[in-house]
Amino acid sequence: MAIVNLQNVTYKYPLTDSPALQNINLQVNEGEFVAIIGPNGAGKSTLCYTLAGFVPHFFKGELTGTVEVAGGESHNSSLSEWVLNVGLAFQNPFNQISGAKYTVFEELAFGLENIGIPRQEMKARVEEAMKLTGISDLADRSPYSLSGGQQQRVALTSILVMQPKVLVLDEPTSQMDPIGTREVFGVIRKMAQRGMTVILAEHKVEWIAQFADRVIALKDGQILLDDIPSEVLTSPILPANGFGISRYTSIARKAQEMGLWNKDRLPITLDQAVEGFFNEGRK
Amino acid sequence: MHDRLSFYYYRDSILHQLNPLTKLVLVFGLMLISFIFPFFWTPHILILVAIIPLIFVGKVKREYLNATIRIILPATMFLFVMQALFQPLGDRELFRIWFLHPTLESTLFAFRNAARVFAIASSFTIFLLTTHPRELMSDLTRRGLPPQIAYVIISTLQILPQMQAKAQTIIAAQRSRGLDTQSSFLKRVGSLVPLVGPLVFGSLVEVEERAIAIEARGFTSTRVKTSLHEIPDTNLDKALRWILIGLVVITIALRIWLS
Repeated sequence: MAIVNLQNVTYKYPLTDSPALQNINLQVNEGEFVAIIGPNGAGKSTLCYTLAGFVPHFFKGELTGTVEVAGGESHNSSLSEWVLNVGLAFQNPFNQISGAKYTVFEELAFGLENIGIPRQEMKARVEEAMKLTGISDLADRSPYSLSGGQQQRVALTSILVMQPKVLVLDEPTSQMDPIGTREVFGVIRKMAQRGMTVILAEHKVEWIAQFADRVIALKDGQILLDDIPSEVLTSPILPANGFGISRYTSIARKAQEMGLWNKDRLPITLDQAVEGFFNEGRK
Repeated sequence: MHDRLSFYYYRDSILHQLNPLTKLVLVFGLMLISFIFPFFWTPHILILVAIIPLIFVGKVKREYLNATIRIILPATMFLFVMQALFQPLGDRELFRIWFLHPTLESTLFAFRNAARVFAIASSFTIFLLTTHPRELMSDLTRRGLPPQIAYVIISTLQILPQMQAKAQTIIAAQRSRGLDTQSSFLKRVGSLVPLVGPLVFGSLVEVEERAIAIEARGFTSTRVKTSLHEIPDTNLDKALRWILIGLVVITIALRIWLS
């Protein structure tokens, strides 16, 4: 059943002429893990903000079409109620720290205080969420004394603790080093495995290839492709439009041109690449 | 630097356990009494019977002494000297050096004012040393202070050191590209421009992102907010507040009656 439903969504930021999103139609089923890829300026962030209600409630501008999540429509809801449906985390971990709290535990409770959760339940929810994302040992640290990866996991947990129905992540690892990236993707995968609906805008296609159920390629505010990862990530349309593609796919494509790759399908993960080349070598 | 974002020091003391509002009432009570009570030695007596005992009750004598020597004492000494020398009061000259001729009246006036400022600054210092900003703000929010105001105060306390660190990074970055920050004054003023730009614009972008981040956590929700920490407000607190308010009222009454 579709939990997210976008119909003919077009959006223009205030004071701009060209729309940032054009005629977007998108359905996401409950529990699905959807990745959004696209070059810079393709509208990934705008799409994330639209799902999370910040377009049009925070950024104003012109929004047409309907944005439905879990049966509600975003323009009929206030932003502070909409965020209970859709949780949003984004790139810069530092700017997601509220700044109003002195420890990680308090930071995580901030959202629950805002929506009036009673103290006992608040503590239980924070503790459970920390356990889930593996940051229980950070509870008494200052959020500002953490590494980028730790801060980003705190930011993710601070959204998860609100128990949204859909999790929207706007390039959560773009400012992370490889270790931070692995930590953050570990949390995202865990959420997806627990049945959370996840919509992730991300550049790192090698991670997407491993986790996503579906990939949407966005360019100039329009959806170019929308299919399973092995279809989208190997499509010749991607490199022609300035999308980054996986190194496994590009090396296999080179090999294909030289007649060294004879499988029908190009690989998107290391395992598929190894298997393809290994089988070639044995012949 | 990350650990010292407030003046607060944790101690196991009665003063620490008092409700923040009680301590705030105490600070303002002492301030009003030292100014209004119609007796010359009032601020001096308050320092002896209230400020000094509070330092020991709150177990913050070393931290208090530190603040006093570094800030409060130099400031009040300066105030004392300036007022004693330049207040045009009375004609009983104490001595005359060049054009300086303090009078007995101006010296006494300065002595009282310095004691007042000393008492007020001290009580604020003790308040800050024994009250965690988080407790003050969540207590005041519970009593009706708009959460936006509490947020601005706390986040400013937290973000200032972060901005300082960022300014240092920008200075280092610009210097590595040849910016002159160590030569003559005028050149250095000129070189502020490429430093301030990134700091200010960077901060503005951050403000938008932070607004989105706290909004994503329901900051403007119209639901009744709750608080993680329970801030005790005991009968002792209530009694102390009423006693202090009573003392202030008596002080005002005395002042009106005697004038």
